[in-house]
Amino acid sequence: MEKILITSPEKCIGCGTCELACSLAHNGECRPAIARVNVFRFAKGKNVPMMCFQCEEAACMAVCKTKALVRDEKTGVVNVDADKCIGCRMCVMACPFGNIAFDRVAKVAIKCNHCDGEPMCAEFCPTAAIEYVPADTATLNRKKEFSAKMKQALEEVK
Amino acid sequence: MIEITINGTPIEVEKGTVLLHAAKENGVEIPTLCNHEGLNREGNCRLCSVEITENGRSKIVASCMFPVTRSISVETDNERVKRARRTVLQLLINRNPKSPVIQQLCSEYGVKREERFALEPDLCIRCGRCVRACETNGTKAIELVGRGFDRHVATPYETESDACIGCLSCATVCPTGKITYDESPGKRKIWHKEFDVLKCARCGIYFATKEMLDWAGRPENDRAYCDHCQKYIESVKFLTEHEQNK
Repeated sequence: MEKILITSPEKCIGCGTCELACSLAHNGECRPAIARVNVFRFAKGKNVPMMCFQCEEAACMAVCKTKALVRDEKTGVVNVDADKCIGCRMCVMACPFGNIAFDRVAKVAIKCNHCDGEPMCAEFCPTAAIEYVPADTATLNRKKEFSAKMKQALEEVK
Repeated sequence: MIEITINGTPIEVEKGTVLLHAAKENGVEIPTLCNHEGLNREGNCRLCSVEITENGRSKIVASCMFPVTRSISVETDNERVKRARRTVLQLLINRNPKSPVIQQLCSEYGVKREERFALEPDLCIRCGRCVRACETNGTKAIELVGRGFDRHVATPYETESDACIGCLSCATVCPTGKITYDESPGKRKIWHKEFDVLKCARCGIYFATKEMLDWAGRPENDRAYCDHCQKYIESVKFLTEHEQNK
């Protein structure tokens, strides 16, 4: 079954372990600057971990001309094929959420790919603020509710 | 599926697969400079030459341009193939003595620069990767122009082109590092054109040219932040939503 990453800000303690685990898993080094997940820390101990939503209508995929961004139909995850990436950064320009970045050293686009089915951020999160759960009705509803609100919020901005 | 042999090992490949990919999928590395998985193949560098044998006759082909349609046997590293690659490398090193990637290949194949044929040193090997990247991106700002010794990559009339968006993919895909650009705070210069690089309203890094955002179709009113700060803005919205839901 399709699985998704769900974040619960109220559980997040802002330790940044997810960022370290992410960059270590993808690049073999603990460097939050190239982590696909980021923790934003606010006053009063409020913290929000953020990563790619794997949008159904992904702007990054739509704009990629070399098909370096391809959705895995089984898992629903949008993957970056580094061999096909020509570094035009159009995906980075197009993502409305800032969830895809450009690695200036490796010169490829980088984004969350659920670590090919074993997300290290969820694995190492000490408080289960990031959970990797089956996309069943309950969680999907939660996600849909969230994206509807996001859309609304976005439209308000526009 | 078609059965072929690569260096004596029988393998099965789907009809139409180009030899370069068939070999790579089966763990046989073939050197190449002009091939890029994201771009059309043009067979410009000829470094991926291999020998194919069919009905007792053999010939040298560029593996990136040879789709498998019949049962053949392929040699990717025999003496004849090495000789073909040495010739290619000889021509490349004569003109491109300073390119690290070509120096590396030449030392592997034992090729030395011949001074008597040496031309004006130039990093460009006319592989056309940059041209294909620009074409694939849809911008089509650069092209290979001129013939013979004069052949080189340029924008129309060697002047700044309206089509260029300053995305730097030409420089990214260049295998030899010929394509360079100047980047200073707020300015980027490439292909005779100077771009203004937009500054992120939150963190202050210079993140993209206006032309890039235009090309990607980013709405005019949604361009203030770099990707990381955009993520931050989203997290603020997320938190606000979350607290309201409680």
